[in-house]
Amino acid sequence: MIQLRHISKSFGRQQVLKSIDLTVNQGDVVVILGPSGSGKTTLLRCINYLEKPSGGEIAIGDFRLNCGRATKKDIHALRQKSAMVFQQYNLFRHKTALENVMEGLVIVKKQPKEEAKARSIALLEKVGLGSKLDAYPSQLSGGQQQRVGIARALALEPEVILFDEPTSALDPELVGEVLEVIRKIAKEGITMIVVTHEMGFARDVANHAVFMDGGVIVEEGSPAELLYHPREERTKQFLKRITPELNYSI
Amino acid sequence: MKIDPSFIWTAFIQLLSAIPTTLVITAVSVSVGFIIGVITALFRLYRVPVLSQLSTAYVTFIRGTPMLTHLLLIYFGLPVILDGLSSWFGWGFKSASIPMIAFAFISFSITAGAYMSEVIRSGLLAVNRGQIEAAYSVGMTTSQALRRIVFPQALAVSLPNLSNSAIGMLHGSTLAFTVSVVDINAKAQIVASTNWKFFEAYLAAAVIFWGLTVLIERLTARLEKRIQIYNRGGVA
Amino acid sequence: MGAPFDFSFVIGAFSKLWSMLGVTLLIVGGSLLTGIVVGFLIALPRLYRIPVLEQFSKVYVSFFRGTPILIQLFLFYYGLPELLKLAHLDISRAPVLFFVIWTYGLHTGAFMSETIRASVTAVDRGQVEAAYAIGMKGAQAFTRIVLPQALAVAVPVFSNMVIALLKDTSLAFTLGVMELTGKAQTLGALTQHFIEAYLALALIYLVVSFTLEKLLRAAERRLLKHEQPNGAERRRFRIERKPSIRGMYAGIGAEKGGAKL
Repeated sequence: MIQLRHISKSFGRQQVLKSIDLTVNQGDVVVILGPSGSGKTTLLRCINYLEKPSGGEIAIGDFRLNCGRATKKDIHALRQKSAMVFQQYNLFRHKTALENVMEGLVIVKKQPKEEAKARSIALLEKVGLGSKLDAYPSQLSGGQQQRVGIARALALEPEVILFDEPTSALDPELVGEVLEVIRKIAKEGITMIVVTHEMGFARDVANHAVFMDGGVIVEEGSPAELLYHPREERTKQFLKRITPELNYSI
Repeated sequence: MKIDPSFIWTAFIQLLSAIPTTLVITAVSVSVGFIIGVITALFRLYRVPVLSQLSTAYVTFIRGTPMLTHLLLIYFGLPVILDGLSSWFGWGFKSASIPMIAFAFISFSITAGAYMSEVIRSGLLAVNRGQIEAAYSVGMTTSQALRRIVFPQALAVSLPNLSNSAIGMLHGSTLAFTVSVVDINAKAQIVASTNWKFFEAYLAAAVIFWGLTVLIERLTARLEKRIQIYNRGGVA
Repeated sequence: MGAPFDFSFVIGAFSKLWSMLGVTLLIVGGSLLTGIVVGFLIALPRLYRIPVLEQFSKVYVSFFRGTPILIQLFLFYYGLPELLKLAHLDISRAPVLFFVIWTYGLHTGAFMSETIRASVTAVDRGQVEAAYAIGMKGAQAFTRIVLPQALAVAVPVFSNMVIALLKDTSLAFTLGVMELTGKAQTLGALTQHFIEAYLALALIYLVVSFTLEKLLRAAERRLLKHEQPNGAERRRFRIERKPSIRGMYAGIGAEKGGAKL
């Protein structure tokens, strides 16, 4: 279980997150929706401490961290509980697909090389890249890179995988293959928090949806509820803007 | 021997008289080098037979050897060639009448040309192919497209490297002492030779060179700002 | 001026000069090692923004890039003993080679620090984030992820620096070091075949810089093997160059200023 309490974050004088509370249960697939600048990516990055929250408390499983007095050791421990899939993939450019997946296992988890290798190959096969083990990121398409990124995150067996707009940087024809992989692992009961603009995905895969705007959670609920029967005015306006069938005027 | 701070100032004042010589050598080598650079870069880009191979050989040779060897080869070699030609054609010309500074001009221009050729070539390569196509599409000729579209953009891209070349030539001009031209460096030696206060003299020289270098950098930065207005914002 | 041109002297001078190559390479190697250490020391305060030291680094780099190496040679040759005398160290009897290597080392260090700084900043921020995200510590992320990639960016610039350094060492003769150039001068004066001696000298420099470039190019190719997708195939289909890692070097600006001695 993941619990965020009073998470806030400011960049200079601008407050991007205003005391966010969020609870995610084991096995949940949570999507965070919202306009750009709403703070959703910042929130996600705070969970992995890629952004340092200005205050609040993060709990993953039995590990609890107070953002006011987190030591380097705490941060390191927190990061081991989660894994991140980036919008820009961020595969290690100087390592092959296989090495990218192995890196965390060998260096962070200190697994023996052979074991790590076998596990990494299995994971790459799972995301459909069994034939690209020795390819460098620059030799892979965006969709393939992102699938390696997902395998890299899976390898660490984290309590939660954080997806930061995983398909936003992809060419439209490559979005499908990545969503398919995420869908597949969602069915396996892995806890996930996904920041996305893919409404179809949110509706079909998630079991909880959160709408953010202006640094606060405006409303949350089941995806069907949130997408089709929003309660708040701000949610309605956002959905109207991004759902094409409701808005044909160009 | 103790350090004599007051002599640094004395030396500094005396060195000022040598600044024009250094600047003239730099200016000549940079300007002539620029012309050589543009011509050889175009030969190579357009793969002009023979001339492009000659240009490549020239650039490779000059960039692979120290500037000092160019100067020495010109200083010793050029008179032999000129005197040979002169007696062959009966010109009645003697190489001894060539002023020393001319050797520095010629040799440094040759050096600068090779380095600038590379700078200009990469600047031209950096210009998007679509730019020339667009120029053709509005009916420009090749030379119009080069002059009006490609060169200005290439120049903007190469400006930092051209400025580096200029600084390199400014610093390289200190070699002129080997052909008895009195530039800042040679003057420092002369100033110090009376009282052996070499450190003080060279310190003054260093300060002058430092100042001149910073000046070139500042001017370049200002020029860059003006020239690259079209690049403001966006991804460039 | 001198004896008439005789090509056989070029060959003779070449083989005589070849025996002096060791001294030149010693200067290059020694200054390079010094330069790498100095370069890191100068680059770190600026990378980590350490106050005061950062300012010192800036001035250091500006001075060594802003003054001619020839002036620096004289400055250190005459000045360093005086300076160290203040610290009760007497090095006035140290061999000239010592001063030469130190000066070239400090000089190279300034350029090296700029290269290090530029290469490290050239590595995408996302790479470090990804390293943190899979649970690496700061030091692990630096040595395993940032450094190898920064190295690949730095090698071409480094290679230019080495060759510039090789050419710069031709000035060591002004302090009386018997290296390639000094030897060529002596040979020329001895035989009065100046042109031949200097031609041979130029040829040796050409051969050495050519070899160094080839070696460093091979190293670069190894380090950059991850940046060359499908080799020739891609090159053929692409007209303009994509802004690849190679393209970034132009923007690095840590390269030695254009013409070098």
